Amino acid sequence: MSKTGHWSLRARRMATGAALYLGAVVLGLGSAWWVLKKAPWLNPSVEVGAWRANMHAGSQDAGMYTRATVAVNALLALGRDETMYFVASRDDAGHALRAQCNYRISGVPPQARWWSITAYAEDLFLFDAPNGHYSLNGATAVLDAAGAFTLSTGPNEQPNLYWLPTSGQRPLVLTLRLYNPAPALQAAPQSLVAPAVQKIGDCA
Amino acid sequence: MKNISEHQRLWFYRVLSLLVTAVLAHLLAVWAAPRVIMQVLMHGPQAQKMNMHNQAAFSEPVTARSRSVVMPSPDMLYSVCAFDLSDGPLRIQAAPVLSTYWSIALYASNSDNFFVRNDRQAQGKAVDLWLVPDTGDAQGHTIAPGAEVVVSPSRQGFLLMRVLTSDYASESAVLEPARRTLRCSPA
Repeated sequence: MSKTGHWSLRARRMATGAALYLGAVVLGLGSAWWVLKKAPWLNPSVEVGAWRANMHAGSQDAGMYTRATVAVNALLALGRDETMYFVASRDDAGHALRAQCNYRISGVPPQARWWSITAYAEDLFLFDAPNGHYSLNGATAVLDAAGAFTLSTGPNEQPNLYWLPTSGQRPLVLTLRLYNPAPALQAAPQSLVAPAVQKIGDCA
Repeated sequence: MKNISEHQRLWFYRVLSLLVTAVLAHLLAVWAAPRVIMQVLMHGPQAQKMNMHNQAAFSEPVTARSRSVVMPSPDMLYSVCAFDLSDGPLRIQAAPVLSTYWSIALYASNSDNFFVRNDRQAQGKAVDLWLVPDTGDAQGHTIAPGAEVVVSPSRQGFLLMRVLTSDYASESAVLEPARRTLRCSPA
């Protein structure tokens, strides 16, 4: 082999090696993104009905993955003695929540000093709400004779229901916040009487 | 048993080194994510705009246009301070006289929430905190009588004050003066 051919072969090998290592770095970064955004089951969590809560959110005891997941998905969360966060991305039937669908959410006020249910898009920011309704909370909820609240989310207002408007063809995420939850609920988050999340009719 | 050739051995180590590289990149990204996000929060464009370095700043009520921190609560009024203890302790004071929920939470530079004081814990008294670095060194400052010393696990971090609002339009006259009692300044 000529000297030029030798150097050409060596350059090709180096380029291939660099591309492979770059690919390995991309694979590592991509898998990290996937774990933090798409695989919350890798973190210790409690499931109640359609709702899921990470019990180490905001805690100094959180492991590396929990800390990173919380930073990406719920930055500046508080510990569960101060606030508990339950998140729903599926309805009671197990189907992914979509902004173009209408849902009825009903339940009884949780055992906490104050609570709210908020609708977010998949980027975890609020939907435009021309009616100014971004959440239903302990102050705005009207309870029926049985002491239960009901609200709706979706592109269409439902008769006689408090409406959180959602728009677009995109995933929907519901967050139930409990500020100063009762000690019994802190100790046993699975004892939450989970609000029901049910789809209304067909999606737009 | 058949001996592996030098060529196979070479490829084994190449594949192994690629796997190790991928795993290290993965772990580094997971470790760094909260720290990078906090740096952006404390020093990014929004922080610069709000001028929150070692002083209190007051966010507008949350709407669909609030896009600096994920999952903003529309039921909270937020007040903030990006603290830096490099030049000494920081004094945090607040006296929000409110019958509703409020809290002051402190976050380390890795995003851990290391301190919270809420309205019930304050029992109607003003909050007076001296935030010192994890060396516990007040750097010659005399702590004010009655003040509470809080040790921060990192020199830089973030303060977030939450004040509950159910109907901002009707409550702003009470809530705004109350939350603007927050002070966050070098001791």
